[in-house]
Amino acid sequence: MRRILAIVLATALIGGAFAQQIRIMGYGGQDPAILVRLLDEVIGAELAAEGITLTYEPLEGDYNAALFNALSAGTAADIFYIPVETAPGIIATGKVLALDGLFDTAPFIDSLVEAYTVDGSVYGIAKDFNTLAIHYNTDLFDEAGVAYPDASDTWATFADKLRAVAALDADVYGTCFPAGFDRFGAFAFATGWQPFDADGHTDLLDPAFVEAVTWYTDLVREGVAIQPSDIGQGWTGGCFATDDVAIAIEGAWMLGFLRNEAPNLQYGTTFMPIGPSGERGNFLYTVAYGINTDSPNRAAALRVLEAITGPAAQQWVLEQGLAIPSRTALADNPFFLEGTPEAIANRVVFEGAADGHVLGFQFGNIGTDWMTPVNDALVAIMTGQATVDEALTEAQRDLNALIERAR
Amino acid sequence: MRAAATRLGAAEQRALEHWQARRRWARAGLVYAVMLAFAIVFVGPLLFAAVSSLRTDPLEYPPSLAIPQLQPSNWAAAARLGQAGAGDRWFGGFAPGATVPFEIAYFVPDGVDVTDPDVEVPRRRPGAGLGAVLAIEYAADFASVSELQRLPDVPMTVESGDGTTSGRRVAYAFTIRYQGDGPVIDRLPLDVTAAVGMQYLDSTLTASRLERRGRTASFNDVAPGVLGYVLRNYVRVFNEVRSPATRQSLFLAWIGNSFAFAAVRIVVTLVIASMAGYALARLRFRGREAIFMLVLFSQMVPLQVLFISNYLVLRDGILTVGGFTLSSLWGFPDGMLNSLTGLVFVTALNAGAVFIMKQFFESIPREVEEAAMIDGANHWRRYWNVVLPMARPALGALTILTFQGAWNDFFWPFIVLTSPENVKTLPIGLLSFRNTYGAVGDWGLILAGAVMSAIPVIILFVVFQRYFMEGVSFGGGKE
Amino acid sequence: MRTKRADTVAAYLFLLPFLVLLLIFFVFATGRAVYFSFTDYDLFRPPNWVGLRNYAALFADALFLSALRNSILFAVIVTAVQTFLALVMAAVLNQRVRGIGFFRAAFYMPSITSSVVITLIFLWMFQRRGLINYLTETLQRHLPVLLAFLLVLIAVQVVQVAWERRSALPATWTDPALFVVSLLVAFGATWLLVTTGVVAPRDVAPVDFIWLQTRDTIPSGAPFWLSVPIPLAAIMIQNVFTTIPTFMLMYLAALQDVPKSHYEAASIDGANATQQFLRITIPSVAPVTFLVLTLSMIGTLQMFDQVAIFGDAAPLRSVVTLAYFVYDRMFPGAQTPEVGFAAAGAMFLAVLTLVVVLLQRRLVRSEGH
Repeated sequence: MRRILAIVLATALIGGAFAQQIRIMGYGGQDPAILVRLLDEVIGAELAAEGITLTYEPLEGDYNAALFNALSAGTAADIFYIPVETAPGIIATGKVLALDGLFDTAPFIDSLVEAYTVDGSVYGIAKDFNTLAIHYNTDLFDEAGVAYPDASDTWATFADKLRAVAALDADVYGTCFPAGFDRFGAFAFATGWQPFDADGHTDLLDPAFVEAVTWYTDLVREGVAIQPSDIGQGWTGGCFATDDVAIAIEGAWMLGFLRNEAPNLQYGTTFMPIGPSGERGNFLYTVAYGINTDSPNRAAALRVLEAITGPAAQQWVLEQGLAIPSRTALADNPFFLEGTPEAIANRVVFEGAADGHVLGFQFGNIGTDWMTPVNDALVAIMTGQATVDEALTEAQRDLNALIERAR
Repeated sequence: MRAAATRLGAAEQRALEHWQARRRWARAGLVYAVMLAFAIVFVGPLLFAAVSSLRTDPLEYPPSLAIPQLQPSNWAAAARLGQAGAGDRWFGGFAPGATVPFEIAYFVPDGVDVTDPDVEVPRRRPGAGLGAVLAIEYAADFASVSELQRLPDVPMTVESGDGTTSGRRVAYAFTIRYQGDGPVIDRLPLDVTAAVGMQYLDSTLTASRLERRGRTASFNDVAPGVLGYVLRNYVRVFNEVRSPATRQSLFLAWIGNSFAFAAVRIVVTLVIASMAGYALARLRFRGREAIFMLVLFSQMVPLQVLFISNYLVLRDGILTVGGFTLSSLWGFPDGMLNSLTGLVFVTALNAGAVFIMKQFFESIPREVEEAAMIDGANHWRRYWNVVLPMARPALGALTILTFQGAWNDFFWPFIVLTSPENVKTLPIGLLSFRNTYGAVGDWGLILAGAVMSAIPVIILFVVFQRYFMEGVSFGGGKE
Repeated sequence: MRTKRADTVAAYLFLLPFLVLLLIFFVFATGRAVYFSFTDYDLFRPPNWVGLRNYAALFADALFLSALRNSILFAVIVTAVQTFLALVMAAVLNQRVRGIGFFRAAFYMPSITSSVVITLIFLWMFQRRGLINYLTETLQRHLPVLLAFLLVLIAVQVVQVAWERRSALPATWTDPALFVVSLLVAFGATWLLVTTGVVAPRDVAPVDFIWLQTRDTIPSGAPFWLSVPIPLAAIMIQNVFTTIPTFMLMYLAALQDVPKSHYEAASIDGANATQQFLRITIPSVAPVTFLVLTLSMIGTLQMFDQVAIFGDAAPLRSVVTLAYFVYDRMFPGAQTPEVGFAAAGAMFLAVLTLVVVLLQRRLVRSEGH
C-alpha cells in the first residue's frame, strides 16, 4: 500500500515538475483531425515521455483575424500557424520569436524559409506547402470522349479540351474560374508578369497581364468556364465534387475535401498548362509554425516545433496524403511514385514548385487586401460590366491608393 | 347616401339591417383568413426549416415536404435494419454477429447490358471539420458483403420528358455480415456502383445521394434504426461535433454556457437596474437629471463605438498597471477575453433595464412608501422591504426579457468568445457550424442546430407571452 | 436640507454599481474611441497622434464608401418599407375578434428567435437552389392561372356590386359579403378552367437567381450611390420580415385606442377604406410612427449580425455596413489591425446616428407646432 502511494506521489511530482502543456493554434476544417492523428500515431508518445503534452486549438472562420485578436489579447498559443500571405503583418506585431540560433533551417526548402525571413531573421518553419495543379474528372472526360489534359498542354490546347467536355451537357462546364487573383495569378505568372517591380509598384496595364486577364475572362464569357458562385459554390473544389465541372485548378488541399465529400469521384492530376512565355506559372502557398515570444515554455515549444516538423512527422503526413513536406530530403520519397490518384496528385503539386514562374502567395504589408482591386476587375469583366481596359485602369487607380496608404 | 337612408321605409330599414349584419359576418371571415395568411408567412420559414432539418440534404431541389425521412415505409425499413444490425430498432448500429439484408433495384432500358453492380462498405469519416477529429472505428474493417443474388427481372416502362422507355426492373439482394469480434459501430455506410445506363430505382432504404452522375448510390447508414434515420442530423449535432482536446460534445457545452450566461446576466441586471431605477425614480439629488440624460444618451451610441475600448478593457483585465492586472483578483490574471465572466462584465451595463425599472417605480404611489418612512426606515429598507416586493411584475418582465436578450445575444459573445470552441455560447457556436459545415453544403446539421437553439425561447414565449408583449410597449423589444 | 444630503448619499450608493459600469464601459469607452480615432493604434504598438489623417483616409477607402452607401440605403429602404407595411397590416388586423391572441403570438415568432437562427434559415432559403427561388419559379409557372383567377374575381365583384346598387343598397366596391361570394365563384371558375385545360400553368425556365455570391446590384448598372447590392437586398427582405411584427403590434396597440366612432362617422360621410386610412388612421398613430421610425433608423443603421453571419457567403463589399466596417478594420484578417481607422469609422457612425435622431425629433416638433 505504501509502495503504491509512493509511486503515485512520485508520478505526481515528476508530472508536476515536468508536465508542460504546449498549445498550438491553427486552422479549423481538416487540420484538427490531422494534428490529433499525428499526435496519436507519431510524435505524441515521444513528447509525452519528455513530459510535454500538446493540445490543438482550431480557429474556425477567419483564421488571420482570430489570430491577431489572440496575439493582442495575449491568449495566443505557444505555437501558431503563420499563413504566408499575412506573414509580414504577423511578424510585424513583434509577437513571433526569431529562430536564429535556436533552430536549424538548413534541411528545409530554401524558398519556404525565405518567405518567413524578415531583415535576415527567420520567424517560421514551413509545415508544408502547396502549388496549383489540374485535376480532371475522368468519368466526364470518358463520357465526352476527350483526351485527358496532360503536361504538354498549352493554353490553346487546354482551352480546346475544356470546350469539348463542356459540350457534353448543358449542366456541365469545363472548369470553375473564380474571380480571384489567388487562382488567376498563376496564369498571370505564366506570361512572365510579376506583381511588384523593384520599387514595390504594381503594373496591371502591362500587356502580359492584360493578355492573361483576357484569356481567363474570355473562357468565362464564352460559357466554357464558370464562376463557382454562378453554380452556388464557394470554391472550385465544390464545383468539382458535384460533377458540375470537368476540371478543377486547385492544390493538394482539395484531396482531403474530396475524400470526405465525394469519395467516389474518379480523378487524375497533371501540371498547369504552358503559358505564352513557354513556361508554366504557379503560386507557392505555405503555412509555417511560429513560436509566441510570450510563451512561458519556450524550450518545450522549440522541442515541439522540432518534432512536429521533423522527418518522422513529415514522412507520416506525406504517406497519409495529407500535405506536401517542406524538407528537401523527402523529395525522393517512394510514396510519390505510387500509382494511386492521390500520390500522383501530390507528386504533381510537389514538382510544380520548381516548374516555371513560381511566386509566393505574398503581398508585403498590404496582405491579401492587395488582391481586392484585381478581383473586382475580374468580376466586372467576367460579368460584362466593363471592358478589360476600363476595369484594369480602375483597378490600377485603387491599387495605387492602397499602396500609398500602406507606406 | 345619408339622404338615401332617411328615405327608406321601416321594412326596407329591416332589410338593410339584415344586409349589414351579413356584411359584418363576411368581414370577420375575411379578417380571419387574412390573419391566417399572415401567420403562415411569419411562422412558415421556421416550420419549413424544422421539417427540412430532417433531410439528408436540405438543399435538394425542388424543396418539398415529401421527404424520405417522413415516409412510414422507410421508418419500418430503418427499424428492421437497425434490429438486424445491432438489435436496436431505435438507434441501430453494427454489432458482432449481425447480418444486415439489403436489396437494390435498377431500371435497365432495352438494349443495355446488365452488369452486376459493385457493392462496397467504404471507410468514410463522419462529416467535416469539427467531427473529423474523432478517432473512430470503421464498419469497413469488420464488414463483409455476400455474393449478389439477382432477383427475377420484371418488365417495366419509364416515362420521361422524351417519351416512354421500355425495359426491365433488375433487382439484387445481398447481406452485409459482421466478421469476427469487435466493437459495436455507430454507422454502416454503403456504396453501390452500377454500370453506365442502369438507373437507380429504389432500395430497402432510400439512397442518401447519387454520385458519379447517378452511377453510385451512396447510403450514409444502412442500419440506422428509426430515430437514427429520422433524427440523424439531430443525433449528429451532439455526436459528431466534439472538442478536439476533451472530446466533449461542443453543442452540449454551448447550451450550458448559454444557460449560465443568461442566469448570471438576469441576476446582475435585476440587482443593478432595480437599485439604480429606485434612486432615479424616488430620490431627489444633485446630478439626477444629468445621470438620467446619460442613461438615455447611452442607448443611442452604437455598440461599435464602445466595443473598441471595451474589448481592450477585457483584454487588460479592467486595468493593468506595472504588471499587476486587476482581474487577477478574481482569478483572471491574463485578462477576461474568452470567458463568460468577461462577457457578463461587458454586458452588465443595461441602461434600458434601468429605464424600465425607473418607469415602474414611478408608477407606485408615494403614499405606500411614506407610510414606511414614518416608521423611520432608512432608504435601503424602504427599497428592500417595501418597493421591491411591489415590483414583482416588473422584475418578472425584466427577467424574461433579459433571458431572451442573453440567449439571443450575438455581438458581444462574437467579440469576446473566439477560442477555444467550448467557451462559446449557442449563437456563436451556430456560427462555427455555419463556417464549418456551410462550406461543404452540409445544411442538415446547421438547420438541426438552429432549430434546437430556438426551442427554449419559443417555450418561454408560449408560457410568458404577456411579458413579451409588455416588452414591445416598453420600447420596441428590439435587440 | 439635511435629509436632502442624506438622500444624495443614499442615491449615489444605490447608483454605485451602475455608475461604475457606466463610467468604464460608456464614458471612458467613448472618450477612448474618440482619442484612438486621432491615432495610428494597431493593438500592438503604442498609439501615435496622427491628427485628422484617419478621417481623411475614410473617404479614400473603397470599403468605407461601400459601407456608407450600404448603410444609408439599408436604413432608408428598410425603415420606409417596414413602417409602411407594419401600419397597413395593423390597420387590416385592427378588429376586435376572438382568438386574436393566438395570431399575435404567431406573428411575433420571428421577432423572438435569435438573429443567428433567423439569418441561418434565410441564408439557407436564399441559396441558389433554395426555397425563395423555388417559390418564385412556382409563382411564374402559375401566373396564367393566377391572372385568370383575379380577372374572374374582379368581374364577379363588379357585376354583384352593380346589381346591388341598382336595388338601392349602399354597396361599396369592396363590400365584404359580396367579396366572399366573388371569391367562391372565382375559385370554382378557375378550377373549371384548369381542369378543362383552357388555362394551364406555363413552362418557364427554372429561376436561377443568385442572391448571395454576386456583386450585381439592383437596379443593375445604376450610379454607385443608388444601387443596392443583391445580397444586401436579401438582408433587407429578412430584416423587414423579422421586424414588421414588432412594429405592427406597437401600431395595433395604438389603433385599439382610436375610438371606433371616428371611423363610423367617416363611413357615414362616405369615406372609403383608403380615405379612412389616410384621414384617421395615419394622424391618430403619429406618435407611434415617430417612435417606430426612430427605433427603426437606429436599428438599421447599426446592422451588424447579418453581415457577420453571412460571412463568406456573399462578397464583403456587397453587404458591409458601417457597423461591420468598424469591426472589420479592428480585426481585418488580411493585415495588421487598424484601430485608429476603425475608431474614425465608428465616430462617423455615431454622429450619423445622432444626427438622424435629432433631425427626426426636430421634424416632429415643427409638425406638432
